[in-house]
Amino acid sequence: MSPPVQAGPTRWSTRVPLLRRLVLALLPPLNGVVPITADHVGRTYPPTAPYEVSAAKIAEFAAALGDPNPAYSGPAPVAPPTFAAVIGAAAWDGLFADPELDLSLQRVVHADQTFVWHRPLRTGDTVTGVLSIDKVRCRGAMEIVGVTVRMATLDGEPVVDSSSTFVHTRATS
Amino acid sequence: MSIEVGTQIGELAVSLTRAQLVRYAGASTDFNPIHWSDRAASALGLEGVIAHGMLTLGTALRVVTDWVGDPAAVRRYSARFTHPVVVPDDDEGAEVRCVGTVTAVAEDSVTVTIEVTCGGQKVLGAVTAEVSREGLQ
Repeated sequence: MSPPVQAGPTRWSTRVPLLRRLVLALLPPLNGVVPITADHVGRTYPPTAPYEVSAAKIAEFAAALGDPNPAYSGPAPVAPPTFAAVIGAAAWDGLFADPELDLSLQRVVHADQTFVWHRPLRTGDTVTGVLSIDKVRCRGAMEIVGVTVRMATLDGEPVVDSSSTFVHTRATS
Repeated sequence: MSIEVGTQIGELAVSLTRAQLVRYAGASTDFNPIHWSDRAASALGLEGVIAHGMLTLGTALRVVTDWVGDPAAVRRYSARFTHPVVVPDDDEGAEVRCVGTVTAVAEDSVTVTIEVTCGGQKVLGAVTAEVSREGLQ
């Protein structure tokens, strides 16, 4: 199907929902309508609430990992390499609360994960995370979604980027 | 310490139990019920409650952080969660075994690949971590 002539960025964006409705009306019905589509790639959510890294939380996290590394205790603890998942989880909450996507956390399996550190996270750092949708692929009832959470200090200094792919299995009613 | 491609940096065997999954859920704030409810896990076609992928990965990365000493030396890491670690509701749990090997050496960094298995089955794929060489010489 050839897309309609693009009239301009502003008008185009207002016409997208209409176009999607048209496409959905013309396509043979799948297993109901798939709410998350490739149209959502690029969607970015507001920053998560500022998160202050505390010695107590680092100690709790290291204990949950069963890791006795002395760097996680003492006067100036550093966060374990997987600690940023705590801040990432808050950003994921925003994604799963988006009513348009209709994603359910309990229907998600984590497929892959990459963390790129710009600098270590330490006690006293206050950071926020901004989640963007990088890719969406729909295969039947399965939706393969890639997201990146960019975590930075309140001054905007990048700390770590967390990229994940997850598979969401949509309930078939 | 001589660091070259093929150098084995260490290994680790850790038993993940349901109690640890609950503890990790709280610490990480990942409360996905597939990590604590057999009912929720079965609904997704899983054999039973599975470990958080990030818990298995965090365990695997201990091979690297034990080796370098300072966890702040880790610059990037990635992994694929290829096979779930099913954690039975017993005292033994599921034993995860991790072996780390140097796969690349650059001027200022070393890349390590970690093989992670549970019951002989590979559970994580392409686990690589890049660490700063500072402190390794």
